[in-house]
Amino acid sequence: MSNHEHHETAHRPVQRKEMSRRQFLSYTLGGTTAFMVGGAVLPMVRFAVDPLLEKKGEGTWVKVVEASKITNEPQEFKFQIHQVDGWYVSDPELAAWISKDANGEIFALSPVCKHLGCTIGWNTKGKNEYDCPCHDARYTKDGKNLAVAPNPLDEYEVKVEDGTVYVGPIKANSRV
Amino acid sequence: MFKNVYNWIDERLDITPLWRDVADHEVPEHVNPAHHFSAFVYCFGGLTFFITVIQILSGMFLTMYYVPDILNAYASVDYLNHKVAFGGIVRGMHHFGASLVIVMMFLHTLRVFFTGSYKAPREMNWVVGMLIFFIMLGLGFTGYLLPWDNKAYFATKVGVQIAESVPYIGPYIAQFLYGGDIVGAQTLTRFFAIHVFFLPGALIAMLAAHFLMIRKQGISGPL
Amino acid sequence: MAHGHKSNEKVVFVGDSRVKKGAGVQVPPDYTSYPGKSEAFIPNFLLKEWMVGCVVLVGFLVWTIAEPAPLGYPADPTNASFIPMPDWYFLFLYQFLKYPYVSQEYIVLGTMGIPAVLFGGLLLAPFLDTGKERRFYRRPIASSLMFLSLIAVVYLTVISWDHYTHQLEITNTIPEHHVREEKAREAAEKGQEPPSTVKKPAAAVAIVDAKDPAMDIIKQAQCIGCHAADLKGQGSFPALTGVGDKYSKEELVDIVTNGKSGGMPEFGTKLSADEIDQLATWLAKQKAPAK
Repeated sequence: MSNHEHHETAHRPVQRKEMSRRQFLSYTLGGTTAFMVGGAVLPMVRFAVDPLLEKKGEGTWVKVVEASKITNEPQEFKFQIHQVDGWYVSDPELAAWISKDANGEIFALSPVCKHLGCTIGWNTKGKNEYDCPCHDARYTKDGKNLAVAPNPLDEYEVKVEDGTVYVGPIKANSRV
Repeated sequence: MFKNVYNWIDERLDITPLWRDVADHEVPEHVNPAHHFSAFVYCFGGLTFFITVIQILSGMFLTMYYVPDILNAYASVDYLNHKVAFGGIVRGMHHFGASLVIVMMFLHTLRVFFTGSYKAPREMNWVVGMLIFFIMLGLGFTGYLLPWDNKAYFATKVGVQIAESVPYIGPYIAQFLYGGDIVGAQTLTRFFAIHVFFLPGALIAMLAAHFLMIRKQGISGPL
Repeated sequence: MAHGHKSNEKVVFVGDSRVKKGAGVQVPPDYTSYPGKSEAFIPNFLLKEWMVGCVVLVGFLVWTIAEPAPLGYPADPTNASFIPMPDWYFLFLYQFLKYPYVSQEYIVLGTMGIPAVLFGGLLLAPFLDTGKERRFYRRPIASSLMFLSLIAVVYLTVISWDHYTHQLEITNTIPEHHVREEKAREAAEKGQEPPSTVKKPAAAVAIVDAKDPAMDIIKQAQCIGCHAADLKGQGSFPALTGVGDKYSKEELVDIVTNGKSGGMPEFGTKLSADEIDQLATWLAKQKAPAK
């Protein structure tokens, strides 16, 4: 093998296969730079994106109101959830618009407008619709988007136990 | 005394050419409002820089009282605004200065646009200038949240929601800005960091590039 | 200095000093190609520019003194009646998103597509408008596009503000920072402190009936581990003082027996029903003194 190679190169003009000293130094400098930048920045990037990679906790059920109080007309009910926001643990109040549909089934809608996240209200303009004060988005009683908003209102999972309405995790609207 | 100190430093570092270059360069008549009053339109760039300096200074002083924490942010702004001597003025400078920077920068941009000063060979300086514009808008957006009042909270929610509507990466951008799933403690600290360190750092680098290019290329000639 | 050379002697650097010897006065760049009189930047021109700067600064200071920086009430995520408004320079974008074909299923077009085209166009203007001509009336396309965008931005901003004030009228709301200022002014006229908008920590409520034997259960069951030795709570653990205002005795029995989300463990297995009853009776008595 080596004999053969030797035989071939002997007939050709000498060709330097190895890189020049200057090239070698440049590559090394580049590599060192890359290591220094990467070593310094990578931990910081992982640090910054940590909230994106955190595992989501399981949703819990929260007691809201007695089922007998739910009417066909949507009403706003507040309920407390336990919320961990980094180092800040709180029990904020959330709101849900809860009503019965034609079949008497209870459902709860999130009051967050699907357009740009303002807080909607029921029937504020007297049209028996959910209205958003920001960009005039409108939704039906089922949360179906009528104007401006791209999606129907989010829905809370709801269960009724012993005559009490429990509200669970939020999900995409399943009614429209 | 001062002259001796200066000479001593100059002998070693030869600093005279550094400032001489800035001081002695000739400014042509067509940008001098003393010769043509209409040349005041050439002042907007300098005024933008002046207000930017005020913004940086007032912002530095505001952080002597401000805390980026959802429990205390509002209280600290309330305190520095209403209890600290001249607090209303310093916060007013920062608050209204933000608007004024945008106005001045807008006028400066229009001047450059309508005098065609962005044309060759000054294309790069226009691009850098536009980047400065975007950084300023970013500073405005992130600074709006910091007082943590209702206006701040809901405007930020809406703003991030806009970013969220970007296809595919939108939710990730939103989550990155929120530092979680809600506008909360982690959002405030993030916005504070972006507003106080990241964007000003980028801004200063861009401003340096902007000014270097002006010195290198000189001011554009009269129309 | 140690060598004590004469101070009027020029320092001569030797060896590898890379500092160049001063070349004397630099030749300023030539502006003879521009017509008219040119003048030095410092001090002649800068003085004029700084005079303009002074006028602006005075105006600016008067403005900040005359107009207090707005501050509303602390952020309350559950506040449904608040009408959010961005800073004025974002209003045009905000208004723009209300129109059809940039909202609903086209929202991506509104938040990404069109702004990207417009701002991208602005960013790359020198590469789109490559002609030599600089006067704006000789560049009809670039100038008219700019004029159009200017008109659109002004129009959208005005409409947006108009819409906002209209909405304030309908809902009969006064912006928070105005309400707040008005209240502070009224208080100042009466010579009072302005009403505080910062949530005060609940007034310290004393422990009622501290000698009660239930207090021993509190210590035994290590309630004080979380709720603090003075029962005033710590961190996210609530105070037990004044807890009687919040819950009835039955609710307290339930909480102690079964625990509560947020870290309250169940004591149903550690304490007897009697002890829990005794404890809850005592806790229910923990009310703030009537005002």
